[in-house]
Amino acid sequence: MTALAEPEVPVFADDDAPSPKRRVTPFRVVLFALMVGVAIVMLYPFWVMVTVSIKSEQQYLSGHGFSLDSWKTLTQVLPVGQQVLNSTVICAMSILVILIVGMSAGFAFAKLRFKMSNLVFLAVVSAMMIPLQAILMPEFVNVTKVGLTNGYFGAVLVYAALGTPFSTFLFATYFRGVPDELIEAGIVDGLGYFGVVRRLILPIAVPAIATVTVLQFIQIWDDLLVGLLFIQDQSLRPITVGLAALASGRTTSIPQLMAGSLISAIPAMVVYLGFQRYLVRGLTMGISK
Amino acid sequence: MTVSGEVGLQHVSWWGRRTLAQRRQLAGVCFAAPAVALVVALIAIPIGQAVYYSMTNWDGITATWIGPSTWSQAFHNPTLWQALENNAKLLIAVPFALGIPLAIAVLLHQRVAGWRIFRSIYFLPTAISWVVLGLVAEQFFAYGGTLNSIIHHLGLSSVTTNLLGQESTALLALGITFVFTMIGTNTMLFLTGMATLDPSLEEAARVDGAGRWRIFVSVMLPHLKRFIQLAFVLTVVSAFSALFSLIFVMTGGGPGYATTTLEFLVYQTGFQQGQFGTAALYGLILFIIMALVGIVQLRLIGSNE
Repeated sequence: MTALAEPEVPVFADDDAPSPKRRVTPFRVVLFALMVGVAIVMLYPFWVMVTVSIKSEQQYLSGHGFSLDSWKTLTQVLPVGQQVLNSTVICAMSILVILIVGMSAGFAFAKLRFKMSNLVFLAVVSAMMIPLQAILMPEFVNVTKVGLTNGYFGAVLVYAALGTPFSTFLFATYFRGVPDELIEAGIVDGLGYFGVVRRLILPIAVPAIATVTVLQFIQIWDDLLVGLLFIQDQSLRPITVGLAALASGRTTSIPQLMAGSLISAIPAMVVYLGFQRYLVRGLTMGISK
Repeated sequence: MTVSGEVGLQHVSWWGRRTLAQRRQLAGVCFAAPAVALVVALIAIPIGQAVYYSMTNWDGITATWIGPSTWSQAFHNPTLWQALENNAKLLIAVPFALGIPLAIAVLLHQRVAGWRIFRSIYFLPTAISWVVLGLVAEQFFAYGGTLNSIIHHLGLSSVTTNLLGQESTALLALGITFVFTMIGTNTMLFLTGMATLDPSLEEAARVDGAGRWRIFVSVMLPHLKRFIQLAFVLTVVSAFSALFSLIFVMTGGGPGYATTTLEFLVYQTGFQQGQFGTAALYGLILFIIMALVGIVQLRLIGSNE
């Protein structure tokens, strides 16, 4: 890998280049029509959420008319404000842990080789392949026993543990490109290892931090299983759990459910559209060497 | 004199280097410790516990030792086989979850007017929770849902489907939803792969008289190999371990056990039936399957280098 290990996949590299002017041929018209067709399919979830949520229960059942009734009464069945806040807090705390722990470990494995560090690195990274369901029962009992399912912390810990292997891998890959001389110079200058990380490593790690943050945000924001089991206090539920619980209720109003769905989808979509390229970089990390 | 002086200098620098190396090692251990601790405490130890508890009768509080016979008993449980069968059937969705995104990526790669906007639209569902996509899919497949109104608009008013409500078709509906949820990610991977392809290669092939299909097969596909492998592994892993949200909101595993996959069976057995030991055992089976997928992945990556 070359300098600073930025695994430079030319992701959307031609974004800024003007599209070459091409003649309009029948073939390209067909292509365009196909693209529109795919777009309609991909936009379908949004269309459903919007059109169904602007009906009252009666209007939904009869199929005619629109109103904002479902939006007005939404908070009575789903405390969206509180649940969006819960999701935000859980995401923020988990990502913070994942970043700190992953960055320091990635730095250690890449630059501060110690005895058997390669083996330990491999062990940590291979934990990426283990799905939560594989260890769900002992995990649940352990976290419950230490009393952490009563607040946010149980879920935060589980998310942090699940996100750490990938985060460690990504940071280690990233830091391998940092020249040893830079770190040695920092040590010689008396920064100490914490100082090196804070003053020298942190500033150049910003793209990797962005990648981990975006990937983990979407993963944690969208997750159901951890929030469902590791947060026992109903008032601390994240929005996905609130939606799933509402959906499994007997007298669920579909329009209200769709309104809540739309609200839960918006933050992740905003993050997604704003940081698309970091997401791609993270996904292709393993193969873009 | 000069000789001994050199030896002395070497001696000093050897010590200097050694303490520096030692300090670096110590720092390395300290910096790696939190990550290792998290992974050990919340992933490694639970696997060990799961092995023990899988051989017990465990309700989450008290565990009575039974022994390895629990494993052979588990494989006599038809529900486990049904779940494994459902998992196997869902693998049929994998080629679609790769092929459709590949076609979409090829479409986008043609740079038709407005392709950047289309790209963003295609990727948008990727941001949405599978809980939400599952709820929407329910609307699509429902008795009075979109699928039936499409069918009726096509003039087939005698046909009314209820895919999610029937044991024979519920898994099909789940599989279709799964393919939809994978489209964004896989398209993104393939498009990234295509962006790394040197355009002059395509141009050269075109000059040599290769048609579009020939260019795709001989130039594009070999270049995309690693990306297709990655997408394949991601898709298989998702099929085994990421469908919980979809199943939870769409079918709850039913009708019967028609859409219960292994990961969902872990949840059902543990949290709905209170059989923590058996659930831990099912979790380990999932772990073993994932480990096999991981080994295949390593082999694939290894074969490239």
